[in-house]
Amino acid sequence: MTTVMLVDDSATMLMSLKSILTKAGYSVETAGHGKEALEKLAKGVKPNLIISDVNMPQMDGITFVREARKAPGMRFTPMLMLTTESEQTKRNEAKSAGATGWLVKPVAPDQLLGVIKQVVPGA
Amino acid sequence: MAGLLRRQAVPSTPEAAVRADVVAGSLRPVPEFCQIVDAHLHDVIEQTGEAAEAIVRQMLKIDSLAEVMAGDVVRLAGTLDRTEDQLAQAGDSNAQLVDRLVRYFLFRDEQVRALVDEMRGLKKHVTQIEEVSKATNILALNAMIEAVRAGDAGEGFAVVADEVRKLATRSAQAASGIGTTIADLTARLDAVLTDDSNFDENVKTDLSAEDTAMTRRLSGIAQAQREMSEMVAGILHDTVDAALQVRQSSDALTVETTGAVGHVQFQDISRQMLEHVADAVSQVKRQVEDTIGYAEGGVPADALIARTISVDELRSRHVMSRQRVTHGEKAGVAAAADDTPVIELF
Repeated sequence: MTTVMLVDDSATMLMSLKSILTKAGYSVETAGHGKEALEKLAKGVKPNLIISDVNMPQMDGITFVREARKAPGMRFTPMLMLTTESEQTKRNEAKSAGATGWLVKPVAPDQLLGVIKQVVPGA
Repeated sequence: MAGLLRRQAVPSTPEAAVRADVVAGSLRPVPEFCQIVDAHLHDVIEQTGEAAEAIVRQMLKIDSLAEVMAGDVVRLAGTLDRTEDQLAQAGDSNAQLVDRLVRYFLFRDEQVRALVDEMRGLKKHVTQIEEVSKATNILALNAMIEAVRAGDAGEGFAVVADEVRKLATRSAQAASGIGTTIADLTARLDAVLTDDSNFDENVKTDLSAEDTAMTRRLSGIAQAQREMSEMVAGILHDTVDAALQVRQSSDALTVETTGAVGHVQFQDISRQMLEHVADAVSQVKRQVEDTIGYAEGGVPADALIARTISVDELRSRHVMSRQRVTHGEKAGVAAAADDTPVIELF
């Protein structure tokens, strides 16, 4: 089963996205910020895809992606940024950090699922 | 530098000279005002957050119930489908049973009819006995006559006696025939009632050509049974259709709740927008505090000017497309078209 890790400081976002993905047949791991997500990766959680917010307390999404790329087995794992921000500068930063794509909130459930199928082979 | 500010802000007439203590006094409530506004903004953020979380939880509960309902309906439809099949099988089985019964009764009818025909044959023996009886009467009359003449012709009695003997023989034969036939018919009737091994249910008979009281009654029963089966099958079919419609409605409800759950992202967006507004209010507060400090002599003019808030800087913090458009409209600056895609894969 494809496992998706959701990283967002909004409990509402985590709940709603988890519901959408679970219903679509994915296994879901959640974290409230980048630091917590890194800790989960260090403990052996191996997601097939990471979807992360950008602005979060303790560790922002772009820093998290940069650090997550260094974790074992995470070099080629797709990592999507899901944020309210639409500025090109931030997108470029995320791309340099190793993000796979940039999605601007709000994203419709079918659009999100379509992107996941695009970036995760066999999802 | 304080003089410079005054020169920029007011006319140089003595009566219009700005009093720093008045400026400071008029601005003094503003920081507290801003704090209250900030607190209200955070209240709104907190309350909408809680409301959005509650909405999502409710949606997920509805979704879960819809899934349970869909599962129940699928199971019900499956049960009804099986019942419909079983009913159809029972209907077929009953029809076959009625068919066999009709054939069986026809078989028995035929046998009984044959026996009736044979019993009619007994009439032949009865006729014989009647003839014997008549002849015996004549012989008795003759014997009476001969008895009158006995003295003269004794031989006549011998002839009569011989004829009477023959009649007796014929009577005995007729009686034996009747007895044999009755025994045979009794045995066969008994066999018809107790042994149906000669009945072959596979022999095809055109039942539509048969019209007896029994076939009419059995056909009536079969027809009533067929109509009842069709009625129950119709009810089951309608119930299965209704169950499938409930399933479709349940699926549609799930799609709608998923969409609604997706829309709850508005809370995250509005939270961030309100946080930006709260940040802007805090900048206004700081600027006012600086200005009060400057008017009271605690903040140097250079520091005041250096920390002056900027509309351009405010714009730079507006990271959402909609924020930039609103900012442009209010600042009287045409917002640059936002051509960045909503979804971009690198």
